[in-house]
Formats: sequence, C-alpha cells, structure tokens
Amino acid sequence: MPLTLIGNYVDSKTLQLKELLLTMQEFFYFALRAFSTLPKAKRYWRDVLDQALICGVESIPIVLVSSISIGALMSMEVGNLLEEFGAKTMLGRSTSNAVLRELGPLLMGLMLSARYGSRNGAELGAMQISEQIDALRAFGTDPIAKLVMPRLLAALIMFVPLIALSDFAGLQTGALVAEYYHKIDPGIFWNSIYPRLAPKDFVVSFLKAPVFAIIITLVSSFNGFSARGGTAGVGRSTIKGIVASSGLVLVANFYVSKIVLDIMH
Amino acid sequence: MIELRNVTLKYGEKVILDKVSLTVQDNTIKAILGPSGVGKSTIIKLMLGLIKPNSGQVFVDGVDITPMKEADLYPIRRKMGIVFQGNALFDSMTIAQNMSFFLRENLRLPDEEISRRVMEQIRFAGLEGYEDQLPESLSGGMKKRVAIGRALIFNPKMILFDEPTAGLDPVSSRKILNLIASLKKNNDLGAVFVTHIIDDVFAIADEVAVLYQSKIIFDGPTEQLHESEHPFIRSILSDKILEL
Repeated sequence: MPLTLIGNYVDSKTLQLKELLLTMQEFFYFALRAFSTLPKAKRYWRDVLDQALICGVESIPIVLVSSISIGALMSMEVGNLLEEFGAKTMLGRSTSNAVLRELGPLLMGLMLSARYGSRNGAELGAMQISEQIDALRAFGTDPIAKLVMPRLLAALIMFVPLIALSDFAGLQTGALVAEYYHKIDPGIFWNSIYPRLAPKDFVVSFLKAPVFAIIITLVSSFNGFSARGGTAGVGRSTIKGIVASSGLVLVANFYVSKIVLDIMH
Repeated sequence: MIELRNVTLKYGEKVILDKVSLTVQDNTIKAILGPSGVGKSTIIKLMLGLIKPNSGQVFVDGVDITPMKEADLYPIRRKMGIVFQGNALFDSMTIAQNMSFFLRENLRLPDEEISRRVMEQIRFAGLEGYEDQLPESLSGGMKKRVAIGRALIFNPKMILFDEPTAGLDPVSSRKILNLIASLKKNNDLGAVFVTHIIDDVFAIADEVAVLYQSKIIFDGPTEQLHESEHPFIRSILSDKILEL
C-alpha cells in the first residue's frame, strides 16, 4: 500500500514536471516567433504606435508615483541612518545608487508588470476565449505578428524613456526630501552624486528596460494566448501572467545588476 | 472538396475523435450533428488546419494539409470562410472595418475595390446603414450576418459554420438558415455546419454526419437518417437530443 502511494506521488510529480517542461518549450517557441516577426513592424506600425501610447504615455503616472515614493523614502530613511554616522553629505550618492540601479527600475518593472502585463493578459485572453485569435489565423493573419510583436516592440522602445523619467523623478524627489527634511544643501546633495556617477550606473539602469520589456510582454502575452475555460480562464491566465512576470522581473533585476557590476566593477 | 481520413485527435488521455473519416463535396451543405461537447467544432478547426490531428490526414482540394506549416496554410484557408459560434468579431472595429480588415491584411487591393467588396457583403447581409456601428450595438442575428459577410470576403468555395443558430431566437435562426441555403443556391457555395439541433439539419442539409462517442456513426444523405437503426440516432429522431 505505501509503495502504491509513493508510486502515485512520483507519477503525479513526473507529470507536473513534464507539463512544466512542455510549457517552457512552448514559451520558448512563442518568444522566438515573436522576435522573428519584428521585421514586420513596418506593416503594423499603427499597432506599434497604439501600444507605445498604452505602455509608454499612459504608464507615466504610475511610473512617477513609484519613482517619487522610492526617491522620497530612500532619501528620508538613508538620511536618518547616515546622520547617526555623521555622513549626511553622502546622502546623494546613497540615494542615487538605490534609485538609479536597484529599487527605481525594480519598482517600475513591478508596476509595469501589474499595469501593462495585466492588460495584455486580459485582452489577449479575452480574444483567445472569444475565438478572435483563431479568426485571425483562419483568415490568414499571423496573430503573433499582429498582436504580440507590436506590444514587444513598443515596450522595448518605451521602457527606456520610462526608466529615464523614473530615474529623474526619483532623484529630484530625493533631493527635495534632503533639502526640506534633512536640511541638506542641494549643492551638497548633487555634488555627492555627479563626480561619482559611473557608466555602470546607467548601464545597469538602462539595460533593465529591455530585459523587463521582454519579460513582461512575452510572459503576459503567452498566458493570454494560453487562456482556456471561459471568463474564469481569462482571470486565471492573467493572474498567472502577472505572478510569473513579476517573479521574473525580481530575478532579472538581481542578475542584470550582478552581471553588469561584475563586468564593469 | 474537404476530406478527413482516419483522423484521431486526443487531448491528453482523452480521445476526442477516433479514426474519423468524412468527405464534404463542393456545392453541398453538410451537417455534422452530435451532442454538445462531443468534438464537432474540433472537426471544423481540423478542416482549417487550426489544430493538427494526432494521426490521420486532412485533404483540401486533394492537398494534404496535415504536415503543412502555418504560413503555407494561409492560402488554403482562404478557400474556406468560417463563421465561429460566438462570431469572433473584433469588438473595437466597426462592421465595415471587421469586413475589410482581412482584405487589407492579405490582399493589396485599392481602397475603392475594398470598399466595393465590403458594401457588397453588407448589402448581402442586409446591414445597410449599420456600417459604422460597433458589433456590441447589434442583435445576435445581425452579428451572425456580419460574421457571414466577413466569411465571404475572399470569395471562398466553402463556408464552415460552428453552431450557426445557437443562442438565436427562432426568427433569426430561420433567417440565418435561409441565408446559408441561399449561398448554395445563388453563389454555388458549399457549406459545413456543426449543430446539435436536428431541425436545422432537416431544414437545409443535403448530407449529415452524426458524431457520437468520438466516432462517426452515420454519414449520408439527410433523408436516409430515418433509416438508421443506431440507438443514438433513433433517440435523436425521437427528439431527445437536448437531454443528451
């Protein structure tokens, strides 16, 4: 009897592993197909523009909220800590490291995963359930070129200026908190940043933009395309997409920083 | 002509279609009848190459489409039009845009020719004056007619209908069935329609294939259905289909 139970357990785990590997293989092909359709961007430039508006312009408020809050929070907390060591003049440098390299891009990635990723997942999932994606295929249109490629390209283009905006807003807010909360002269704050800014700070920051764009767009789109089982299925696939892309954003954030800093230290 | 030859399809361990063979001749209306969830819609998707069978072959005009890649299937699919059960209209596009979308996507036609073809289909579907409306503002029957107009946009030889009268009131159902019959009469088009409503079959189908428990248990002229001794078919003819 225990042997049967162990056998059943092993069987179910093997099946789960097989399904996971199969899903990973499908995702890999899906991603390859999405990249291979990038040359069709000229044909779908209107869709690219529409998506650029959605993931870029319309995301500005949420990116500003996250970068302003992280800039303010870092400046306030780190300032309190540095005060204990009499090193408040280093506040600018500490804040800029956090805002430019780590927490700024990370929070932006998570916010875009929630906003843009959920929108992609729900929209494409609803299209899948209502057979609109099958209709595209049935009438001779490649749904990946029409629906996924514009989202991918728009995110690749728009996430870079969003990161720049996020960096700018985060640092400005940090400077304001330093001036009005910690009573640090803005000149001292900025002087602790500019001379010490290195190319690696910007490489880490801006390299995260395309990495997050690829993760968020492809994971959410793949889950939308995989939606099954009516409106409840759309909900399930959207949640799966957000959870997976947010998790991958967290992991990628660490590895991009580590790899770039290892190479450019 | 479309032919399924010994087609088997499984989802995991579940057998959906078991060595199914059937043929749809040009200029013929063929019904595929069976209870809900038996795999009727799957047959239509196999005919279009939207899904691939585990074994067996699907021929369209004598060409085996089963080993074909997606890009090679597009010209084959344009020989057929499809009307999905839920119509699959693009809800952000107007009626005219829904009809013109695939023309613009696939054929390099001048705008005047696209407009002419779209208006032709709008008139055929009896939807003059609704060109600029969104699908959400139309009734179920009207949406179905838009979907039929869209299916005709490439001048196909055959149209595939997935439960064309499902969810429609009796008057709209009758209009849609008449429209399907008129396509054969006036446009020399063949049609395949899957349904679980036996009255629809007797109303317009020349031939019927009955799918039951993954197998085709009858395939022949509609009028010969009465001669079948199969218990399931006898129960259908006794009007028990909705209970099954």
